[in-house]
Amino acid sequence: MPQSKTPEKPQNTGSTRARFKVGDRVRVKDMPNLFYTRTQMYVRGIVGTIAALTYEDILPEDEAFNRDGRLEQYYIVRFRQKDLWPEYPFDNDTLQTESPERWLEPVSN
Amino acid sequence: MSQGHSHGDGGADQGHKAAPMVEEISDSEVLEIAVRELAIEHGLFTAEDHRRFTEWTESVGPAAGSRLAAKAWIDPAFKARVMEDAVRACKEIGIDWAEPTGFGTPSDYMNLRVLEDTPTLHHVIVCTLCSCYPRPLLGMSPEWYRTTNYRRRLVRWPRQVLAEFGLVLPPEVEIRIEDSNQKCRFMVLPVRPEGTENWTEEQLAEIVTRDCMIGVALPRPGRTADVHPVHKARRPVQSSPHSGEATK
Repeated sequence: MPQSKTPEKPQNTGSTRARFKVGDRVRVKDMPNLFYTRTQMYVRGIVGTIAALTYEDILPEDEAFNRDGRLEQYYIVRFRQKDLWPEYPFDNDTLQTESPERWLEPVSN
Repeated sequence: MSQGHSHGDGGADQGHKAAPMVEEISDSEVLEIAVRELAIEHGLFTAEDHRRFTEWTESVGPAAGSRLAAKAWIDPAFKARVMEDAVRACKEIGIDWAEPTGFGTPSDYMNLRVLEDTPTLHHVIVCTLCSCYPRPLLGMSPEWYRTTNYRRRLVRWPRQVLAEFGLVLPPEVEIRIEDSNQKCRFMVLPVRPEGTENWTEEQLAEIVTRDCMIGVALPRPGRTADVHPVHKARRPVQSSPHSGEATK
């Protein structure tokens, strides 16, 4: 069976280009959706904490249309359920999801 | 037949319609067939490749994930390797994420993270955008995992949804939802239950069912299958016009 033309991707080697580190506070940007995105609406504008650096890859927005985008760092971001849903009644519960760097902005506090 | 009614006579209107024999085909199914036929025409893969891949997809189950969890419970060094690099550790139990089918089908999904539960932290997995799932380890996702009902409700009301699966957790236990939306795939490593102290790896693997690795159930001795309650329909489709009359 012929191999698909999956581009070679660098392994996760703790890239020096990564803008954020574990523990940093970040806000998910609320940018317009151009044709395709994997950034959920329910995390837009919400502040969370970087829980892990995962890998480098191109954006889904580029990959969906077979564009060779720039590689960027992906992160697992942890949110408090109470921050995502104002009426959420349990203090301890959390939610994690993954985001490319472009969708995150630093939060100073 | 008793009421002079039989299926398949194709004729008389008996007061109800039989369920259609052919289900509707959705737009995305039409698209899949069109893209598949184009790909075969252009030689990206053959019809035979497609058949083999489909059969592989349908045959792979959650057994590899169960083995991984049981081995991680028994062997702390293996567990450490799983936490360090789960894709690499999978090779020790015979799963190669780079080529999961074993017949030359490469994978884009090379990022597996195993989420370890503790007595005060419980993970549960969802994909709100579609149905991302660690298929090389767990096989095809269950039908409910792909429903919009599960996907949109789990992130917002996780405790209620888990309760519907029969899993009620005290408020002190942190529930951590993992919305698997990009290229990481996730599997839950539950807490090893009490009463399994001298069990073998095979015995342990039996109680780590698919639902335990998604996070909608907890393993316990004696629970070796994911059984969901089936409730009788409150307004069942009537199979005979007479019983239909009776409810009016």
